Amino acid sequence: MKNIVLTINGKKVSAPPGTSILTAAEKNGIAIPTLCSHEELAPYGACRICLVEEENSGRLMASCVTPVAPEMTIHTDSPRVKDHRKNIVRLMIAEHPESCIVCNKGNRCELRRVAAELGVAETRLYPMPNHKPFETHNPFIVRDLAKCILCGKCIRADHERVAVGAIDYSDRGFSSRPVTLHEMPLEKSRCTFCGTCVSMCPTGALSTHNTFFTGTPETEETTICGFCGAGCSLSLGVSDNRVVEVNPSPDRDTVNGATLCVRGHFAHDFLLSPERLLHPLVRETDEEGNTRLAPTGFDAALSTVAGRLADIKRRNGEESIGFIGSAKCTNEENYLFQKIARVIFGTNNITSTGAAGGHALIREVAEKTKGTCRVRRLSSLENADAIVAVLSDTDHAVPVAGYHIKRAVKKGAPLVVIDPYRSDLAAFGGVWLHPEKGGKSGAFGIDAINALTARLIAEGGVDRAFMDRYANDEHGWLPAISAKDPDALAKQAGIAPERVKQAASMLKNRKIAFVPPCDLLERQNGKALLDALFNLALITGALGDKNAGIFIPALENNAVGALDMGCAPDMLPGWRKISDASEKESVAAMWEAAIPEKEGKDIHAMIEAAEAGTLKALYIMGENPLRSLPDPERVRGALKKLDFIVVQDILQNRTTELAHVVLPGAAFAEKQGSFTNMEGRIQSFIPVVSPPGDALPDWAILAMLARKAGYPEHYTAIEKIRQEIRRVVPSYTALGSHRQEWVKQNGSEIPDSFPLAPLHTPGTGSEPDEKFPFIAYIGSRRWHLGAGTRTARSARITASGRTGEIEIAPADAMDLGIANDSENGGKPIIRLLSPFGAIERAAAVNQGLPKGHIFVPQGFYGNDAMQIADFNALKPPGSGWRNVRVRIEKM
Amino acid sequence: MDPTQFDQEKLSEIIEKYQEKKWGLIPLLQQIQEEIGFIPPESIEPIADALQMYPAQVQGVITFYAGFSLKPKGRCVLKVCRGTACHVKGSRSILRMIKKDLSLEEGETSPDYQFTLETVACLGACFLAPTMMVNRDYFGKLNPTKVTSVLGEYRKDSKEA
Ligand code: SF4
Ligand code: SF4
Ligand code: SF4
Ligand code: FES
Ligand code: FES
Repeated sequence: MKNIVLTINGKKVSAPPGTSILTAAEKNGIAIPTLCSHEELAPYGACRICLVEEENSGRLMASCVTPVAPEMTIHTDSPRVKDHRKNIVRLMIAEHPESCIVCNKGNRCELRRVAAELGVAETRLYPMPNHKPFETHNPFIVRDLAKCILCGKCIRADHERVAVGAIDYSDRGFSSRPVTLHEMPLEKSRCTFCGTCVSMCPTGALSTHNTFFTGTPETEETTICGFCGAGCSLSLGVSDNRVVEVNPSPDRDTVNGATLCVRGHFAHDFLLSPERLLHPLVRETDEEGNTRLAPTGFDAALSTVAGRLADIKRRNGEESIGFIGSAKCTNEENYLFQKIARVIFGTNNITSTGAAGGHALIREVAEKTKGTCRVRRLSSLENADAIVAVLSDTDHAVPVAGYHIKRAVKKGAPLVVIDPYRSDLAAFGGVWLHPEKGGKSGAFGIDAINALTARLIAEGGVDRAFMDRYANDEHGWLPAISAKDPDALAKQAGIAPERVKQAASMLKNRKIAFVPPCDLLERQNGKALLDALFNLALITGALGDKNAGIFIPALENNAVGALDMGCAPDMLPGWRKISDASEKESVAAMWEAAIPEKEGKDIHAMIEAAEAGTLKALYIMGENPLRSLPDPERVRGALKKLDFIVVQDILQNRTTELAHVVLPGAAFAEKQGSFTNMEGRIQSFIPVVSPPGDALPDWAILAMLARKAGYPEHYTAIEKIRQEIRRVVPSYTALGSHRQEWVKQNGSEIPDSFPLAPLHTPGTGSEPDEKFPFIAYIGSRRWHLGAGTRTARSARITASGRTGEIEIAPADAMDLGIANDSENGGKPIIRLLSPFGAIERAAAVNQGLPKGHIFVPQGFYGNDAMQIADFNALKPPGSGWRNVRVRIEKM
Repeated sequence: MDPTQFDQEKLSEIIEKYQEKKWGLIPLLQQIQEEIGFIPPESIEPIADALQMYPAQVQGVITFYAGFSLKPKGRCVLKVCRGTACHVKGSRSILRMIKKDLSLEEGETSPDYQFTLETVACLGACFLAPTMMVNRDYFGKLNPTKVTSVLGEYRKDSKEA
């Protein structure tokens, strides 16, 4: 359509039809004050500050909600407009409380700014402060609704952006205000404390609960969130070299836009934890043979590290040393770390605990899709034609990915949720496939996908052309599944056949975006489920479509980057296989160094080797295996047998307690580097504050170590490491040239053919039995990221009183005589026993769990949940440590 | 009579009727208000679920309209007009008198759920000022005697009921 031409302040401008006057003006450098409009929210027109005058008609109109029309002659600044704006502000201020002068929003308050710009000092009106509730009980958000100007941004952020629906207006006129259901405090509502509304509120009505800082931060700088794989862009408010506030960054084209989650917004106070490591420590032994960690300098500590490791290598061989890198450290650090392991110490024993936390899925999908699925933008997910979420944990594990799914559904994308649990997503709308009766718990997902696939095939709802062109059915999967009766498959899964029909009719002939959970391959039968899902993606043509395919959420913020950098025992940087001689040689040539022949040990093999005494030393960077791996007692036993442990980390933790040398590293906000998020977005950042005490950026520590160990290349600046990465890793040729870059895919073309996986007839995996009649799943709750080493150090998360109860199905609670609130008001304590261990915790009824299922949230109580998990389930190909058979004992 | 003991089944039936009909929120609420006499707060979540809305949104609509109430009201709802015309004709004393007679303040309901006292801005019958409504019946040209007799009638009904 043709652009519309109009005049604004005497200037001819043109804008596409439907553009608001406000946008047209802004695009032409004409500023109009606003209080209720936001580019990520639908136009609303509540505050009327954006009034402009149309000369021909003499009308005043709110520019944010009025579309441009031909021949309009707009004045944004005429005396009449200004006069009206002033009156509006005068009325708002007359209603505002006097506490305005000590408001934390301070100079960032938009109301004050607009008032100042218009020169409104005294209102000359009768003050009518609107006494509304003040709420400060929760540790995250302070609500001082007397300062609310009813712009509705919080409500719209909550409905449109994060799709939670915790708040809306109640009442009308002078007494209206944004409230929760039944006007409960936020912590008793469905609020997730994402804080999106807080960052959007133009006034001090909503603000961050701060116990350690008041006022306006001195500076604000952009960086990337240190928690999950969404990789949100943060704006950190800094005063006195401390991060005192977090908001979504104002940068454009970020993954999160105006949103964040509770961890990103409020849990970064862990940076100020008194348990931060401040000095290098080296273990000393006194005359009585007692040992302790004594502070020292980096020079001495690194000499010890280089000397001891060289010594162990000389005496026991390269294979006796292991390296554990980190999905929380930067690309540059992981690159350097694996290079040190391989080139200086001559071993491929390099892995990360990502091996137990999501790496397997990223690898498996990359392999199955032959690297064509590396870049999957969440904005594409939001525009998906249809979404199938399987056992999806995005709402808790990777909340920003969850927002995108919900927004897609709000835009009209059909959603099918396959999950035995009534997750937030299952409750959100669409069709929910769950075992209504019967079905094997461990096999539910596969059975459900098979039923759906068979139904889609039977109804001709698949993309025959794509399938014929690309699918290579070497295992005879298609005839096998086509021969099955879809209804019988549905019944086998315990799903009503009608529901599968309904789901299939919604998905028919659509390009589907699939969202598995980040921990799919740590669940029972995860691999078979992924096979089934991949086959469905293939026959529906999803793989060839931009807004479809498989979207893999990553739990840790640099899970993807750590893999790209070769933090794996069988892979060099750039996913080059060690078993492939030519690939290995190509890296060796670039490094001008030999690369050890043999593939290294994964995390499971390392622990076993430590137990067997063949592994003598471990260098652990940014990981806390004693908290994050199953069966911590076994891991501790293994680590205790080692001669030498180096731990480079930011917080004192259980693993640092066992270390012989502790090296204090820097957290994301304190260093330069880059992270690669779940979408394949490489985001570079610079330090916002300096590291505490003597701590140093991890890459700098590694560079010093390389030098101590006699390596000729001196990595004096991060740029040196980047130069090398750009050369060695083909998908990272643009690293560091801009704030954000994208992983270069293996060519954007689809390979000639994808093999279809065989049909899995489930029934494998451990089903509950008489001794252990329940099946437990160890999963995420949004308050903690993974094992919770950092989030448990957040004063806010701790103060929130979330205690991570063991969640039980209503029917089971009834059978066991466990009520949500026992008579004395407390929660009943239960003992949960698995074949591998036991934990004791409070129990709570979760209405969304089916009978026989138990949910154990991770991260709480020192992540004690790992005590019931089976360490051997980590052994490749992995049998799903997150699912265990358990029984309950009442205490 | 205890209106908090309402017909749960009837409530569920009404909600069921509007399942997934988002446009139906207002008629649904009207029907509940009409048949149950108020909108039980615990019904907000089932309503929201049925209409695929957020519960807070449903609450927002209920609290916006004066015609919906989250609290049970009395058998007789008095709406005394406090509009300009009625004010001029002495509605203030009429209200004062009713308050005293029923021992109720504005917005209150008697403990036996017989009477609820409300005021409105204008009943649209200014020519009959001062006016009031009891449930669906209008009473105009009020004076103390008339008020006493109207209240008496409704009280009598309550005894018979
Ligand atoms: S609380 Fe803030 S964002 Fe919400 S309506 Fe009031 S002023 Fe606007
Ligand atoms: S914090 Fe997030 S979930 Fe809570 S009310 Fe605000 S936007 Fe909604
Ligand atoms: S934890 Fe994940 S979703 Fe939350 S703010 Fe950080 S990156 Fe975003
Ligand atoms: S910004 Fe336009 S009405 Fe508020
Ligand atoms: S003022 Fe009372 S009816 Fe109009």
